[in-house]
Amino acid sequence: MFLSAAVRSAVSQTARQVRGLHQSATRSAGGLFVHRDTPDNNPDTPFEFTEENKKRVQAILSQYPEGHKQAATIPVLDLAQRQHGWLPISAMNKVAEVLGVAPMRVYEVATFYTMFLRQPVGKYFIQVCTTTPCMLCNSDSILEAIQNKLGIKVGETTPDKMFTLIEVECLGACVNAPMVQINDNYYEDLTPKDIEVIIDELKAGRVPPPGPRNGRFSCEPVGGLTSLKGPPPGPGFGVRSDL
Amino acid sequence: MAEYANLLRRAWGQIRGHGGVRGLLLQFFRVNDLKTGALVGVDKYGNKYYEDKKNCFFGRHRWVIYTKEMNGKNTTWEVDGSMVPAEWHRWLHSMTDDPPTTHPPEPKKFFAEVHQFNVSGTPQQYVPYPTTRKKIHEWVPPKAGAQ
Amino acid sequence: MLRLPSVGRTLAGAAKGGLAPANPVRAPARAASNMVEVFVDGKPVEVDPGTTVLQACEKAGVQIPRFCYHERLSVAGNCRMCLVEIEKAPKPVAACAMPVMKGWNILTNSEKTRKAREGVMEFLLANHPLDCPICDQGGECDLQDQSMQFGSDRSRFSEGKRAVEDKNIGPLIKTIMTRCIQCTRCVRFASEIAGVEDLGTTGRGNDLQIGTYVEKMFMSELSGNVIDVCPVGALTSKPYAFTARPWETRKTESIDVLDALGSNIVVSTRGGEVMRVMPRLHEDINEEWISDKTRFAYDGLKRQRLTQPLVKDGSGQLTPTSWEEALTRVAGALQSVRGSEVAAVAGGMADAEALVSLKDLLNRLDSENLCTEEVFPMAGAGTDLRSNYLLNTRIAGIEESDLLLLVGTNPRYEAPLFNARVRKSWLHNELRVAMVGHQVDLTYTYDHLGEETSVLKELADGTHPFCQVLAAAKRPVVVVGSSALQREDGAAILSAVSTIAQNARTSSGVEDGWKVLSVLHRVASQVAALDLGYRAGVDAIRKNPPKVLFLLGADAGCISRADLPKDCFVIYQGHHGDIGATMADVVLPGAAYTEKNGTYVNTEGRSQHTRVAVTPPGMARDDWKILRAVSELAGVTLPYDSLDEVRSRLAEVSPNLVRYDDVEGANYFKQAVELATMVNQDLIAAPLVPPQVSAKDFYMTDSISRASQTMAKDLRFALIVGFKFLLYVSITAKCVCVCVCVCVDVVSESCQWLKRS
Repeated sequence: MFLSAAVRSAVSQTARQVRGLHQSATRSAGGLFVHRDTPDNNPDTPFEFTEENKKRVQAILSQYPEGHKQAATIPVLDLAQRQHGWLPISAMNKVAEVLGVAPMRVYEVATFYTMFLRQPVGKYFIQVCTTTPCMLCNSDSILEAIQNKLGIKVGETTPDKMFTLIEVECLGACVNAPMVQINDNYYEDLTPKDIEVIIDELKAGRVPPPGPRNGRFSCEPVGGLTSLKGPPPGPGFGVRSDL
Repeated sequence: MAEYANLLRRAWGQIRGHGGVRGLLLQFFRVNDLKTGALVGVDKYGNKYYEDKKNCFFGRHRWVIYTKEMNGKNTTWEVDGSMVPAEWHRWLHSMTDDPPTTHPPEPKKFFAEVHQFNVSGTPQQYVPYPTTRKKIHEWVPPKAGAQ
Repeated sequence: MLRLPSVGRTLAGAAKGGLAPANPVRAPARAASNMVEVFVDGKPVEVDPGTTVLQACEKAGVQIPRFCYHERLSVAGNCRMCLVEIEKAPKPVAACAMPVMKGWNILTNSEKTRKAREGVMEFLLANHPLDCPICDQGGECDLQDQSMQFGSDRSRFSEGKRAVEDKNIGPLIKTIMTRCIQCTRCVRFASEIAGVEDLGTTGRGNDLQIGTYVEKMFMSELSGNVIDVCPVGALTSKPYAFTARPWETRKTESIDVLDALGSNIVVSTRGGEVMRVMPRLHEDINEEWISDKTRFAYDGLKRQRLTQPLVKDGSGQLTPTSWEEALTRVAGALQSVRGSEVAAVAGGMADAEALVSLKDLLNRLDSENLCTEEVFPMAGAGTDLRSNYLLNTRIAGIEESDLLLLVGTNPRYEAPLFNARVRKSWLHNELRVAMVGHQVDLTYTYDHLGEETSVLKELADGTHPFCQVLAAAKRPVVVVGSSALQREDGAAILSAVSTIAQNARTSSGVEDGWKVLSVLHRVASQVAALDLGYRAGVDAIRKNPPKVLFLLGADAGCISRADLPKDCFVIYQGHHGDIGATMADVVLPGAAYTEKNGTYVNTEGRSQHTRVAVTPPGMARDDWKILRAVSELAGVTLPYDSLDEVRSRLAEVSPNLVRYDDVEGANYFKQAVELATMVNQDLIAAPLVPPQVSAKDFYMTDSISRASQTMAKDLRFALIVGFKFLLYVSITAKCVCVCVCVCVDVVSESCQWLKRS
């Protein structure tokens, strides 16, 4: 008995001394917050806005008064990302040049927002929500299905540069859990089979229609309406009859 | 009267022991002492080692008369204790009673072939050098005509 | 002698009262009706509307702890250390960002305030390493001090700490980014004061870090100030790293002489060695910043020093000797000459005491051939009228002006703090800047009018389109760089510029006290030398070569052996072995600015003095004492034996020289212009290009190339880290910053010893 008490106290002592290593943040989409030149991401990576996008840039810039062009950083960065798929350092420099601000000011914005991708991604960027509501609706099975289907793990890109898979926190579609976001589209109310179909479609070069997969139109209740079923009552509703 | 005779005899002994008046004076001015004794040996540099157990008390009973030229240096007047080589040093300082003439030292490879005497105060002396950073680096003028 | 520096400063402060919008606490009381009354711990304080809680507390004499707030930077409000309770407010408020409202009672020491501070401190320390024993900031660290004062004495923290990769931002600033508490002071300094938007915050939340994102140097001539601005040990000085602790050093308040501004500095010394140089507050000159040259050039004071008198022997080799012999040689040479057979040249770092002694000495030998190395046009009023060669507007005066015309200067590298002042005014007071001269990056935008001298002519004639802007200005300033006046057509340039200034002045209708024409000098000694009656430029010596030439720290290479007759006897007195010492027959070792009590007058005419921080090395002595000794041996004894007597002699010659920290303004502008118009010299067509154009020139002035060839032997080159190599070489204090690895030193030292032994 004494022995077990001693063992317990020793165990609890060591347990208290264990230092947790925190590593959640670096695992996420953010990655490094400094730039390292790589063969496909360096200041010489070719990037130039297309003629069409140049017009768009001008349209965006025209919304802001002279001297406040910095306000256009996010929309122009987004435009650059849409054009290139992700944001190489040369694209950020280009944006800074277009806006007439210091490159550092653009880097600050680009590193702040996780939706700006500073590492190369595949053509289809799959973001699986695994936050609590989705997790409770078995998002793990969706994640597993994608991993098995594509043969990649979270944070990896397929060798053909078609798909990149990452896990993300809540995307605000909890009503339609589980869900994934592929590029700009939300695919909701998924089952593992649904996601396999979606990936097959994408591989075939078609973009399946976004939205819920279980027949819902949007975020209405799954089992039909639960309130406000009848027409609205007319005047005098609920008023005492003697008045 | 007898004292005078004794004095004379001692004086005669000293003069004879040093090889005449000249030798006596030379000895007197070189080492400030007049002693006669038995010559125990001479080292290869010419230093002579004497012993007199009868008239001298312990500690002063062994002495050396230095050579007049050692390692190319004139040592007639500039004598130095470090001129005694190691093997004689033992005997001279009464570490042993066996002089190297009768008991030659065991050959050791660290024995110097030629005994070096002390170089303190000479350009060959050892000077410890600092390894710390200098606080001020002075300017060294360029050599004339180097430009 | 009347010395009223404090009164002068108060008056100056009162005069520019309304000018400091960034700092309303300093502003004098306005009409009482406008004031807001607040209470700090129950004590009533009247403040201007818009004052922040923190400033109101400061006015009441209560210091609020802070990290991110800095008087001279914009308010960030992200460290939360300045949280205070305000009575009846639901939550503590950030004092640095919250403007006060009428009747607030600010509780700076309530239970809630103290708890808030303790909580913030606990969060800050959660990710701050406990490496104070090996941190260079230890002993002068805001975080250390404030955690002792306001933090908790125990911790609830048992998780792992965040670690951040160190950045390499150049050879001057060492970064240990794990220590960073993200106050963003450095980021704001870089973008607001230095005007170099290289630093920023990347990432967010726990991953937020300060850096440059891409690997690059923090290329600013004011970069060293981020070391002072950083409240923790994240940014420290690389050359100073691990060399001293702040409590072991002795601090001496002094003046910088590496440029003409006379920045106020503190020299930290330990064991007779200068360990570092830090800025000292002076609102009218450098505020609280100093340039990198000022801060990091101190190791030049330890190299190439003249530590003993040298005399040329029969073979023409300079050999060390005793003072007796050297002085006798010098005195012998001086005794044999009279009048124009002897001449003297004063260099850029000579103090007024030495200058006056040298002048008196030569005057006693009937010679008036005293020159400075820096050229200044002598035509027209020349240096006879002080208004011609001073920065009359004063450095702080830039903040009052609305139009600045720069002519042939690059203030960013010639006077970095003047440039910082212009930038400040450009940012906050809508100062418009225009420039005639080579186009350079000044950290602010300006109208570039061209670099040809014809532009000056057009401006003077009123035919240039910019003249309308100039005419419309309320308080114009025209600053001409001293380098532009070094040209052959310097007099014509000065004449044109003074005409422009006079026209601008007339059209603006500004009050009489406002001064338009200003000259920006590059060397510290120039104004004092001209005040004392030195002639600017060595032309006179070239034309009339002397038999004996006395060089007082003249190292710019204005005059060389080729200009002198073969048998000319050259005496060099100074502190560094450079061009001057190389050509000398006798070298007398003098003291550098950290080693003497010397008077210097800055470009605006403000007299200040350095103090002795360390003793001169070896046999070196104070410069005026050497001259005094020479005079005695030469039979023309100078009548002063102590510093006070020299200074009273200075006062006799020019009383402003000893009215320390007081600007003696210049007058007679009109007369100067009239005289200037009489100059009939034509402008040369060559463009106005200042000698220091890029950052490279700032650190590596011409003496480097020179030095690396002729005195490469004992020079140690430095190395710089990282991906880009930047060669900083130390030769003379005036030009270079060096970072030399200690190990390189030790190794080469022992190599030398091995060779010798």
